[in-house]
Amino acid sequence: MKKTALRSATLAGAVAVGLALTACSGGADTTSAASGPAEIDFWGWAPGYAEAVDAYNASQDAVVVNYEEISPGAKGGYEKMLNAVTAGNAPCLGQVGYETLTSFAAQGALEDVSDIADANKDEFSAATWAAMSVGDAVYGAPVDQGPMALFYNTEVFDSLGIAVPTTWDEYQAAAQKIHAADPSKYISATYLNYDYAGFDWQAQAPWFGVEGESWKVSIDSAAGKKVADYWQGLVDEGLMSPAPMWDQSWYTGLGDGSIATHVGAVWIAGILKGSAPDGAGKWAVAPMPQWTAGDDVTGNVGGSGTAVLEGCDNPEAAWDFAHFMSTDADTFSALVETAGLYPAANDLLTLPVLSEGDDYFGGQNIYEVFAESSAQVAEGWVWGPNMPETVGFLDDSLSGAWAGTGTIADALATTQKKTVVGLEAQGLSVTE
Amino acid sequence: MSAITTGATSARTLRWRTPWLFLLPFLVLFVAIYVAPILFAFTQSLFTLQRDGLGLTAPTLAFDPFANYARVFGDAEFQASLGRVLLFGIVQVPIMLGLALLIALLIDSKSARGRGFFRMASFLPFAIPGVVAAVMWSFLYSPVTSPINGFLESAFGFSIPFFSDGLALWSVANVVTWVWTGYNMLIIYSALQTIPAETLEAAKIDGASATRIAWSIKIPMVRPALILTTVFSIIGSAQLFNEPTVLKSISGGAITSTYTPLMAAQSSVAAQNYPYAAAQSVVLAVLVGVASFVFFKLTSRGEQ
Repeated sequence: MKKTALRSATLAGAVAVGLALTACSGGADTTSAASGPAEIDFWGWAPGYAEAVDAYNASQDAVVVNYEEISPGAKGGYEKMLNAVTAGNAPCLGQVGYETLTSFAAQGALEDVSDIADANKDEFSAATWAAMSVGDAVYGAPVDQGPMALFYNTEVFDSLGIAVPTTWDEYQAAAQKIHAADPSKYISATYLNYDYAGFDWQAQAPWFGVEGESWKVSIDSAAGKKVADYWQGLVDEGLMSPAPMWDQSWYTGLGDGSIATHVGAVWIAGILKGSAPDGAGKWAVAPMPQWTAGDDVTGNVGGSGTAVLEGCDNPEAAWDFAHFMSTDADTFSALVETAGLYPAANDLLTLPVLSEGDDYFGGQNIYEVFAESSAQVAEGWVWGPNMPETVGFLDDSLSGAWAGTGTIADALATTQKKTVVGLEAQGLSVTE
Repeated sequence: MSAITTGATSARTLRWRTPWLFLLPFLVLFVAIYVAPILFAFTQSLFTLQRDGLGLTAPTLAFDPFANYARVFGDAEFQASLGRVLLFGIVQVPIMLGLALLIALLIDSKSARGRGFFRMASFLPFAIPGVVAAVMWSFLYSPVTSPINGFLESAFGFSIPFFSDGLALWSVANVVTWVWTGYNMLIIYSALQTIPAETLEAAKIDGASATRIAWSIKIPMVRPALILTTVFSIIGSAQLFNEPTVLKSISGGAITSTYTPLMAAQSSVAAQNYPYAAAQSVVLAVLVGVASFVFFKLTSRGEQ
């Protein structure tokens, strides 16, 4: 009895594997016209990707892309992809944020497509191309980037006669004036994980580096401590709103003027328009405040690419679609409008949709600021090999620091210590 | 001779086979959904992830049966999470079950009016999915826009720091109590319905007051239901996850990613360290098993 059950289970398994193999070979063969179009599966979550896939499928007959919308990466999407890779049934393509790409590579979850991709290298900004590569290996096509700038509420600034801050010192002075004039108003709210990392990026305080065959972990570097102490000063003076970023109270604050600025990436424009409709006409964008007057250095938050996942049997077709979505003018114009994406491809920076005024921002063409910022993003930032773990450590202590328990500098020091222990426990070579 | 032997054998085989045949649907599901994942988790916990240098290739698994367990017992945060749910259980479970028992007795009492309404009303929170309930409470607790604090501040000039070090755990306990009291009440209330009417009538004729009947007859007679709900609640406390996870983002750091044992295991999963998550889960399962067993032993000793 047991044996029979076992045998039929084995048989069922064999049939399933056989079917899977047939499906695979069906997909792999497709470059030859006889066997129909190649099928490529693609998992992502950015709004507008489904339409981009439709546009690609309509544009040619050789490849059919099947898009599946999954949860955003940090909310379970990455786990789903990595599990699928482990199980051997991952899609060919997945949306992977730049900050997580190295962590994916460190799980052996990505396919090196440099043979195919290198021909298109010059079409993309150097920084985003580097963000999709580790060493000489290229793992996919960059889609967008997140150059930073200062979003500010013109109503708050104008009513108090405060000039738009160009340095962090001026920003602090503005914070004091705003809070003194109305104690329910704050300069800004909390910044966690990658949103906080943008400040360290600007200050050229990279969290990670590669030295020979070792990881250099420098989360609590001297340059990083300077940034931490600056924000700690604002917290200590009670100038920062306790509203947690992404919480309803944060959106409310952005809408009603009680949170007067947000220093963040270009895609924050989409968040403001979508989730703080009350702020329409009040918000404007100015260059990111500088540590030294006259400098022009910015940071980057977010941005993602279309990565080729391990086990993809048709990387040529996969690359063809990834390249199309990142570089096709009509497709990307739609992505700018629906998802607020700012292109990684050089030729797209002059898209008509990127040179129009926006009513939400009082008619300002905000992309002029971001085009400048994009060229000024500091070089030398490296993401570590296990970012989900590192930002988990960081947020545990950083959210306390914003709320007044512990300090931001201590949060960075704790994160440094735990990250080193975590990496060494798995046998990675680490220097500090 | 040979014919008889064959007949006997096949009869024996049949006798042996039939029950198994009937058990098969259950056994297949039980093994596939219950036993296999536990065995898999246990096996996983005996391995450790190994890489070298920059680690830019897939990690390998090395057999090292004690490494993860040694780390679990040296992991101060995981131990703190165990201590936290222990404290939570000791305080929250008696309060919740006490409330559930009280409401059940009140609804069950002869003089109760609107029985159906109150039974429904106290059970209603359980009908709301746990995560939705937690999201709702996160609005009520929000550090900036809490309507509770808004009211307290305008009326009495003070506010409750829901996520201060001392209060955070009890803010979570409040949500859990709100959701689960009605569910436990219903189990106890059903048990109250099974008490024979003669017993209650006899007590009444003997002159026992309603309070006396509740204390000396009803409560002892729903003892099995109380034990059952206690064991469920012990397990529920140990597996605390939904409520603190939802409240984490507005807690100003009071609720960390390793606040409860399950949250700690989930963080290990997010960090792609499945073997360590498996070890944490196994340790938690063993501790819950021991706690439930000890509780059963203690209560059955009381019976004798």
